[in-house]
Amino acid sequence: MPKLYKFLSVFRTGAVNAASGSAYAEFGNTKVIVSVFGPRESKKAMMYSDIGRLNCNVSFTTFATPIRGQGSDHKEYCAMLHKALEGAIILETFPKTTVDVFALVLESSGSNSISECVAGDLPVVISCASLALADAGIMMYDIVASVSVSCFNKNLVIDPILEEEIGQDGSLMITCMPSRYEITQLTVTGEWSTTKINEGMQLCLDACAKLAKIMRSCLKEVASDSQE
Amino acid sequence: MVGLSLGETHFIQGGIAQDLRCDGRKRLTYRPISVETGVIPQTNGSARVRMGATDVIASVKAELGKPSLLQPDKGKVSIYVDCSSTAEPAFEGRGGDELAAELSNALQRCLLGGKSGAGAGIDLSSLIVVEGKICWDLYIDGLVVSSDGNLLDALGAAIKAALSNTGIPRVQVAAGTSNDEHPEVDVSDEEFLQFDTSRVPVIVTLTKVGRHYIVDATSEEESQMSSAVSISVNRQGHICGITKRGGVGLDPSIILDMISVAKHVSEQLINKLDSEIASAEAEEES
Amino acid sequence: MGLPNVSEDLSSEMEVDAFRRLFPLRYFERHLAESIRPDGRPLGKARETSIFLGAVASANGSALVKIGSTTILTAIKMEVMTPSLESPDEGCLAIDFHMPPICSPIVRPGRPAEASPVVSKQLSDTFSSSKMIDLKELSLVSGKAAWMAYLNAAFIMQDIYCLDADGALFDAALLSAVASLSHLQIPVVAMNDDGKIVLVSEEDGQKREQEPVNKEKRKLTLRSIPFSLTCILHKNYILADPTAEEESIMETHVTVVLDTSGQLISLYKPGGPVLAYTSAIQDCAALTRQRVKELKSFLDKANSAMEVE
Repeated sequence: MPKLYKFLSVFRTGAVNAASGSAYAEFGNTKVIVSVFGPRESKKAMMYSDIGRLNCNVSFTTFATPIRGQGSDHKEYCAMLHKALEGAIILETFPKTTVDVFALVLESSGSNSISECVAGDLPVVISCASLALADAGIMMYDIVASVSVSCFNKNLVIDPILEEEIGQDGSLMITCMPSRYEITQLTVTGEWSTTKINEGMQLCLDACAKLAKIMRSCLKEVASDSQE
Repeated sequence: MVGLSLGETHFIQGGIAQDLRCDGRKRLTYRPISVETGVIPQTNGSARVRMGATDVIASVKAELGKPSLLQPDKGKVSIYVDCSSTAEPAFEGRGGDELAAELSNALQRCLLGGKSGAGAGIDLSSLIVVEGKICWDLYIDGLVVSSDGNLLDALGAAIKAALSNTGIPRVQVAAGTSNDEHPEVDVSDEEFLQFDTSRVPVIVTLTKVGRHYIVDATSEEESQMSSAVSISVNRQGHICGITKRGGVGLDPSIILDMISVAKHVSEQLINKLDSEIASAEAEEES
Repeated sequence: MGLPNVSEDLSSEMEVDAFRRLFPLRYFERHLAESIRPDGRPLGKARETSIFLGAVASANGSALVKIGSTTILTAIKMEVMTPSLESPDEGCLAIDFHMPPICSPIVRPGRPAEASPVVSKQLSDTFSSSKMIDLKELSLVSGKAAWMAYLNAAFIMQDIYCLDADGALFDAALLSAVASLSHLQIPVVAMNDDGKIVLVSEEDGQKREQEPVNKEKRKLTLRSIPFSLTCILHKNYILADPTAEEESIMETHVTVVLDTSGQLISLYKPGGPVLAYTSAIQDCAALTRQRVKELKSFLDKANSAMEVE
């Protein structure tokens, strides 16, 4: 039996006033803030474009990891976040302009330093970013939820913690739009048989659907609060 | 970027829908692959792979280093890809960096396996010389010389060929000094250990154009893609890594279907590649 | 100056929001004439302030401070270092003020904000001139035999992150820095056989072979705590604790830093179009004096709340 979901999650929108939209997410040990700015004018050097642009950045604080880091940008995460979101945003609704999605990982659940892959943080960053986009009123086809599982001694463990991630035989991360039942981002490492992949994907998709429900209720709460 | 007229895009899409592509191939046929090994003499192993107009070089360099604290019983492998501006004018300066980073990440994900080492194409434990003190660091560099689509598969094949071409010098640890912080070693320049590359997976990229997907897309075909999934499969038919490119969402059932197609295609590709590598090696020796 | 008159005519017809965007200065001045600010505060009043200690679990000391919507998170990590030759018996305090792109629309990734090095410098100047921390206290084993190669001292690294920038960044950063120092728990260290300093783990899992060097002093003594208040000078008005909008419209800022006994530690007036009379500076100082009392009680409350837990 796969381990039960570790959904000790906190989602909150409107974390940063200066931004058009923002969200804070806490998931196990991972703490993330995402701000969305825009749609605003694209950089001058950019060429004309009749669809909007999406610009993503992910950085870590110096105290995000047990060993003091450099607090630098995480290039790989930037690219992954961009790919996970671009399929969900209706870019046609803001031509000539750019939406900036900036994430700051306050605390990471991952290993000792950023250079070692801290795959546990990325799903939280992606889910949090989609919530921030919704908070900013950017048009999306659906909410984007992301979950990872580790394959660990033939067991599938959802949302792995650090100790599990170090010993894992493989990991699978899915980003999907649950209502449309579409996968926008998928990465797999390690050795998997087809049946195991099937099982892992199904587990992730179910978890994504649950996660999206939590995210949606968080958005609804804010909306009903503001109406009062 | 590929500039195509409306007519040309229709022609490409229509061809794919009818299972007859512009160059006469079927949807699941690769372009002819040619492999040349030992192209760069100063490395421990190198190979050049050509698929149509796509031309890539991979080289392997081994250096003695110190294993990481977390995994004292394993060597280290790093993979970097460089997109030369000779391949495409857009790669000039820092233009190719983004693509290069994407390819490097995808290759690392596909070839290095999970954290515990399961599914790794390269057995990291075989790179250890003295546990916790000395190991081999493998630096695998990929260079894109000419780009006409399907770079990831070509690089994966080139790395596989380069690894089978790689000889790692035999190392003698001086007796009695093994407890020291820096044991003395004697690197032989005559005896070489051959790499076991039977576990190195091949990468199959399925590019979705319209409602169908194709293997080994040219850059013209890639410009029409909605999304692409790169699946690395080893000889046992196990999946060693998946990377998705392109932002458009895919239905989970389609992805599963792609995986089974990739497994089927990979068998032929591995056999083809192995025979190409064998003949290339034979040619080099003669 | 034909523009203000035009705006005066328009102001009766235009929507408030449009007027605020088109003629921000006019908009503010009309509020100021009524001795009130757009967010409903009187001129001399600071925004609501809250302090939360221990926000970052992995740090040795941390604090989250909110002044209005300006949010600052500080985390302290301590490390053992070799002191410099000039001051062999002193530790070191390094302050870094970061403005990540999430905090403000002005900051873009890859281009650090102009304000961040300025605030870093102001903070470290303030700390060094206030003599809040005795750096000699950070020395771990200086009194040992003279032949020892490593003299060791503690190195405090303070990383201050601005999470939401809405004016008065220096005030919030200083409060957060001070609060995190008051929360700081110095980790226990011991000297091993080689004369190197090593961390002693909290769990006490393994036998404690080495005697801890600093068993008794786990808290830093803060002698005089600096607090600050930034005011805007505009014509004859003094606005305490400005928001980002106010800061962008009216450009003369005065920052007064006082310690708890009311002594002046530093005063910044970085240019600006308004030339201040000494009386205005005195008024700023008076406002700061009140604010210091307020902040002191906030900090004490936060610290006592921590102790209860």
